[in-house]
Amino acid sequence: MFEEASEVFDNMFKTSFPLTFIVFIPAVLILVSPLPADAAHEFTVYRMQQYDLQGQPYGTRNAILNTEARSVEAEVLSRRCVIMRLVDFSYEKYQKALRQSAGAVVIILPKNMSTMPQDIVQQFMELEPEMLATETIVPVYFALEDEELLSIYTQTLTSSPTQGSSTAAEGVHVLDRAHSRSKKYLSVGETGGRLAGVGGEDLPTIVLVAHYDAFGVAPWLSYGADSNGSGVSMLLELARLFSRLYTYKRTHAGYNLLFFVSGGGKFNYQGTKRWLEDNLDHTDSSLLQDNVAFVLCLDTLGNGDGLHLHVSKPPKEGTPQHALLRELESVVASQYPELKFSMVHKKINLADDTLAWEHERFGIRRLPAFTLSHLPSHRLAERSSIMDVRSVSPSSPEQEHQGGGRGAGQSHLQPDGEGEQEQLSSVVDWLTAQPRAAQLLDKDSSVVSTLEHQLGRYLKDVKRHYVKADKRDPEFVFYDQLKQQMNAYRVKPAIFDLLLAFCIAAYLGVMYLAIQNFGLLYSVIRKVTQPKAKTH
Amino acid sequence: MTLFHFGNCFALAYFPYFITYKCSGLSEYNAFWRCVQAGATYLFVQLCKMLFLATFFPTWEGGAGVYDFVGEFMKATVDLADLLGLHLVMSRNAGKGEYKIMVAAMGWATAELVMSRCLPLWVGARGIEFDWKYIQMSFDSNISLVHYIAMASVVWMFTRYDLPKSFRLPVTVLLGLCVYKAFLMELFVHMFLLGSWTALLVKALLTGVVSLCSLFLFVTLVHSN
Repeated sequence: MFEEASEVFDNMFKTSFPLTFIVFIPAVLILVSPLPADAAHEFTVYRMQQYDLQGQPYGTRNAILNTEARSVEAEVLSRRCVIMRLVDFSYEKYQKALRQSAGAVVIILPKNMSTMPQDIVQQFMELEPEMLATETIVPVYFALEDEELLSIYTQTLTSSPTQGSSTAAEGVHVLDRAHSRSKKYLSVGETGGRLAGVGGEDLPTIVLVAHYDAFGVAPWLSYGADSNGSGVSMLLELARLFSRLYTYKRTHAGYNLLFFVSGGGKFNYQGTKRWLEDNLDHTDSSLLQDNVAFVLCLDTLGNGDGLHLHVSKPPKEGTPQHALLRELESVVASQYPELKFSMVHKKINLADDTLAWEHERFGIRRLPAFTLSHLPSHRLAERSSIMDVRSVSPSSPEQEHQGGGRGAGQSHLQPDGEGEQEQLSSVVDWLTAQPRAAQLLDKDSSVVSTLEHQLGRYLKDVKRHYVKADKRDPEFVFYDQLKQQMNAYRVKPAIFDLLLAFCIAAYLGVMYLAIQNFGLLYSVIRKVTQPKAKTH
Repeated sequence: MTLFHFGNCFALAYFPYFITYKCSGLSEYNAFWRCVQAGATYLFVQLCKMLFLATFFPTWEGGAGVYDFVGEFMKATVDLADLLGLHLVMSRNAGKGEYKIMVAAMGWATAELVMSRCLPLWVGARGIEFDWKYIQMSFDSNISLVHYIAMASVVWMFTRYDLPKSFRLPVTVLLGLCVYKAFLMELFVHMFLLGSWTALLVKALLTGVVSLCSLFLFVTLVHSN
């Protein structure tokens, strides 16, 4: 047959030249076609944070993965991808995976965090800073759970205990085509506006600040409902209240109000730092340079039943800060007795890597400032967790908001406006609809422009400005490639292919014998039909 | 080892064709070019069928779970064109009955193998993911070979002028079975919810029965004089 085939092809080549092209070029193209990625399941994974703080690296590196998947109970984990669910997560298991230099760790999070029991959520929240504290070469990914992923996980669970270090078993293979990472520098947008007070030129100024970004162990999963979605929504609410109050002469106070939404808050308040530099060092006249009564920073006011005023220096008698403190105490005592209010004094420690609260930035520039928060300490994990999502209990926030708002308002006038619940909750809903990690928000982000628009409804002189990190000496350096697609395949081991080849060879042998001896069948049938024909 | 798997599937699909070609003695008759011509006729007939189906048959608007019996039946009727094509091929070849049948069937089946199975195997069996359907596809191509040989022999018998009256009915029935085999298979799968391996088995049995009957009739016809 091959001789005939070659004859035919020879004729083809001799007669018509274009025909060869038509036949050969497609064949060559098909042969060199790249391998399609036809996966059992393709899912998005979010990488853990990776940044350098003043040269010190934190978080996890990135890697190209092409490994088998194992569950964490298996013995040999090196160069394998370890998959674990949040319910089974514990720090020892995580350490075990890291010690054995696993290829990667994938932590499966439930789609809806509220289905998780509180103690697991709390435990994970506390483990997040420890996971980030040192740099690891093992990439850590987070994936949201769905049915396919769950079935893949159960399959790895069942196959893992029976495997030692052999690669010859049926399993799940995980592939991740990651590109090389590149450095990025922080660039934030911030916005702010003001309300002018009544009476004269040289009025004292009150500044209200909140930072809008969020932090968590995985940037794409940092929604920051409480920290600091609550702070931003409260700032917008106060802006609305005061703009209404300032339209009537009776309630128009003799203070200038400056509202500022800052970025880069979770990274040592970079936005605030640059804003202060711009206003105090580079501008001729600004509200910040003149008489500043105090700066009030709002940070994490959503949950909890306590309200704390964090100061770096206890306010002296007779100053506006002291007056605010007294007002807050009296408002809380009279109208919200179940709230526990206290003042927390913490000195600014410049030797620390990061500043504790936003008011410390102002304190460094000698502006009197404090932070209002429901958290008693700046070290608590609630400020930087991916578990901080929207489904929080709604009862305490309104108390916090109203307590803080009333206190701030009553320091110099008598407001009778009330916080609108729907407005507050819709702002927090909008804020938590997208991840707000500082690395993900750049100049074109819609968060800043929407905030600017909102402030523009109540305040005057609303401006937006951008801060870019200094490339030569940046305090923070980020790395990208934080969201990737991972493919999981079900594979059969190599031995299976060999076995299959044997079976096919046997089958083909039988076929060959059958076809060779087809004549036997033919003669049998002939013999069967012949007598019938003879009798007809 | 995924190229290896592709090699497995391809060997499983193609070797029986190769063996049949060799052992049926076609190579002695220089039948390669004629087989290629039969293959070209196959392509032409499929193209005509596709155009006809696209033009005259509306798309099925019903729900996903309901099986459109009448529509699929009509579509299967268009497969009568296959018979016409086989008849055309066989009438152009001069020679003994067996030679004509084998040439037509080999060419037709090989063209179907290349067109409808090689590309899915190349694209799919090379991937990392393993799926049993490629092995099943290769088995299916073996079954198709037997099916086309049976179909060609039935067509040949149908067009013989010296066909005895008593054979007319069985031959017509077999012809009908051949044409509607695909439709019947889909019906079975839908009604009894057969698994893929079971469906393959049923298909093999059906084809075996049809081909055995046609072989009986053929032998009787050829050796009755």
